[in-house]
This record gives sequence, C-alpha cells and structure tokens, in this order.
Amino acid sequence: MTHKLNHRLLLGDWLVIIASVVSIIFMFLQFWSFEQASKLKIRQGNQIIGTYDLNQTRDLHVHGALGDALISISQGKVRFKQSPCNNQYCVHQGWLSHAGEVAICLPNQISLHLIGVKSNYDSLNY
Amino acid sequence: MRLTLVIYIIFLAACSSKEPMHNTQSYVFGTLVDITIYGESEDKSQLVADEIIRDFQQLHHHLHAWRPSKLQTLNAAFASGKTPVPIDAAIANMITEATVLSIQSKGAFNPSIGELIEAWGFHNDEFKPTNIDQEKINHLVNAKPQMSDIVIKNGYAFSNNPAVRLDFGGYAKGYALDSALTYLQNQGIKNALVNIGGNIIALGKHGEKPWRVGIQHPRKPNAIATINLESGWAVGTSGDYQRYFELGGKRYCHIIDPAAGYPVQGVQAVTVLIAPSANAGVLSDVASKPIFIAKPQARVDAASMMGIENFLVIESEHHIYISPALSKRLTWLDKDAEKYAVEYDTQTQP
Repeated sequence: MTHKLNHRLLLGDWLVIIASVVSIIFMFLQFWSFEQASKLKIRQGNQIIGTYDLNQTRDLHVHGALGDALISISQGKVRFKQSPCNNQYCVHQGWLSHAGEVAICLPNQISLHLIGVKSNYDSLNY
Repeated sequence: MRLTLVIYIIFLAACSSKEPMHNTQSYVFGTLVDITIYGESEDKSQLVADEIIRDFQQLHHHLHAWRPSKLQTLNAAFASGKTPVPIDAAIANMITEATVLSIQSKGAFNPSIGELIEAWGFHNDEFKPTNIDQEKINHLVNAKPQMSDIVIKNGYAFSNNPAVRLDFGGYAKGYALDSALTYLQNQGIKNALVNIGGNIIALGKHGEKPWRVGIQHPRKPNAIATINLESGWAVGTSGDYQRYFELGGKRYCHIIDPAAGYPVQGVQAVTVLIAPSANAGVLSDVASKPIFIAKPQARVDAASMMGIENFLVIESEHHIYISPALSKRLTWLDKDAEKYAVEYDTQTQP
C-alpha cells in the first residue's frame, strides 16, 4: 500500500512536503532554539492588565501604585519607558525580548512577563 | 503526504496545549510573590495560593523593620534596657534559628544590625542616596550587636546589648518559603513552585519534568543560566542589583558587612542551591550572604562553613566562579558567562 503510494507522488505532493518541512524547521529555530517571546503579560498588583502581542509598535499607559508607567512595545521587544518610581531600576533594565524574561517595578507594582511558545524556565531567581 | 501533514498538525497541537497550571502573583515583603500550582483544579489552586499570600502578609506585618510591628516593639524593648518583655512564640523560634545560623556564619549573617541598615538608608520603601555618616557607622560597628546577646526564657526576652536591632530582611523570605512548602503539603498539593522576590522553593514537578528556574544575569535583562529544581530544593541569590543606590559613581548595595559597617563591593551576585531539608527556604535566603561578604579567596570556606555545595559567584562580567557540584547541575544560557566561568577548587581548601 505504502509502496504503491510512493510511486504516485507528484510534483505538487513534493512541494507540500518540502513546504511543511521548511516551515517546521523555521518554527523550530524560531520558537524552540532562540525562545523569542511572542506575547507580553502585564500585571499590576495581583491583577492581570492584559496579554499583548509583541509584534507591534505601541505605547501603553498602565496605572500603578505610584502613578502612570509608560510601557513601550516595539516589534518583538518591550521595555519600561517611563516610570514614576524613585530608583528607575525598571527603566534601566532596558529591552526584554526572550520568553521567560521579567521586568518588575516593585514600587509601582507593575510586572512585565514575556511569554513564548516555549520558555527555558518556569520561574526566575534574581 | 498525509503522514507529513499529520506530523505537522501534531507538532502545532503540541505547541498550543494548555497545561493544568495556575499562577498567582502578589506584592508582599516589598517584593513580588509568585505561586505556581500544577495539576490541581483552578478553584483549589486559587484557594491555597490566596491562603499562602494571606500568611505572608501577616508575617510581613509582624516582622516589619521600619513600621509599627511586633518586631519593632521588641526592638524598642531591647534598646531601652534589660527588662524582659513577653515575646511571640513564632518570633522566638525565628530568633533561635537565626542565632544558630549567625554563629555558624561567624557573624557574617547578622540580623541584629538593623540600626546599621537604617543608617545606610535601606529602611525605606523608596530609598535615596544617603550621605555617609562615618562617625555613626563607627559607633554602630563598635557597639557589636550580636544575635547571641538576645536571651529568651519562658516566653520572655531581653537583650544584653542595647545596640541589638532585629531586621529579618535576609531571613523572613526564606522562612516564608519553608512555611509555604509545609502548608502546600498539608493541603495535599503535589506540585508547586513558590517564588518570593527571587528566592524559590519547589514541590513535585512541572508535569513529567522537574521545575526549572532561570538565574537572572546581574547586569543584563536576560537569564544567565537555568537549573532544575527537584522537589524540596530551594534556590536563592544575593545581588547588588535589587536594592542599591549610587553615590559619586559608586554602587552601594543593601548587603552590609557587619564587621566593616559598609555595603559589600566587588561582587554582583551569589546564588546558592539548597538540598531538601526542614529549613531549605531559610538556607536559600541566609547562606548566600556569608559567601557574598567574604573576601574572594575566602568564599569557598564561607560556603563550606554554611554547608553549601552548590554555589555560583559573579564578581564581574569576566570573573565568574562556580562550585564543581553546581557546575554539573547548571545549564548556561549566556555564552559569554559560560566562557568566563571558572570552577572553584573545593578539594584543596583547608
């Protein structure tokens, strides 16, 4: 049965097979090796503000315990752009782009958590 | 062709499978608390996580070092003389455990130096660069507050040294991890991961695999490495990057050498991995400090003094040291760090 089928493979079949294999390899490299994040989860206190697609360019205002923070999403990466906190650690942390990466503004109680198809780890020790 | 398509669809399905995992976050102890429970119903997970967070809030409330709390009342009594005052049983147990660890660390871990921590401006939610008052620091160091100055007897306590000022900032999160683990087990939870400001304890597994945690790079936004956290294991990091201020181009972190009275310089992060024990959480919080405070050549001794086999020291970008035991358990993510990491020689040390 299988033997017979193999003999009947036509050009179109091969194209589908090649396209599938190429797309699997592409996604494997994209999501499994580099663990590039695809989504961003923003929390304020114990509330989830929302989950956002990282593949866009957008500024978000999030109201925290101290005041408004400005979070900037830019084609696959995100950072705290402005924060009303005193030490500005969150702003200094810079761009996050890999799944599992976290930026937390403790005084303003806002956290950014990057989510991908597969993360390298479940939780972060810092 | 059909077979290829089937494999392709299975692959896509595997990517999007939803796990029975429940995550709760809250802000306690001035930091982020993150509880992940695996393999339980949403309702039960939420109930258990909420109870743990309530316990944490209560503990934080009792142990607050710079707001009215049971600990502050006790500190005021210690400062005012040797009259014994009634002491909360849980706080008495904490003092007893912390005293043993303080002696074991030869005073490098010393939760009685609250006044010194305050003098450096760290008794604030939002601290600012503090002008260094050398005279005050000398005075506080010379007063030599020690945990062993505290005497607890029949539910009463006093201090032989009025300079003793308890600050459980380097202990309470670890203590909370241990109590959370006990509570999770008592509630019949099989798999969970509790993270309090970076200190993490594991219970069970994440499905078929062990829980895996990332170790934050002290200067980059990414994780430097990952380790598998088997059931009962805990991990903790002391870093100069979480609470610090900069003055005259110099970084002053919240980890203060009790002997010098100054924030420790020249080390960015010390991570310890702790095997299961009744106080694995406490050790994950406490044991990194003596290694952090020790001089570079004394770090291996400091670790062995605390009974720690698995530890990682990041002094700077190009000076990274790891114990052979941890080296076997750790997977590097940051290729630069991997290149510069050197294994400690733990055999030839006296």
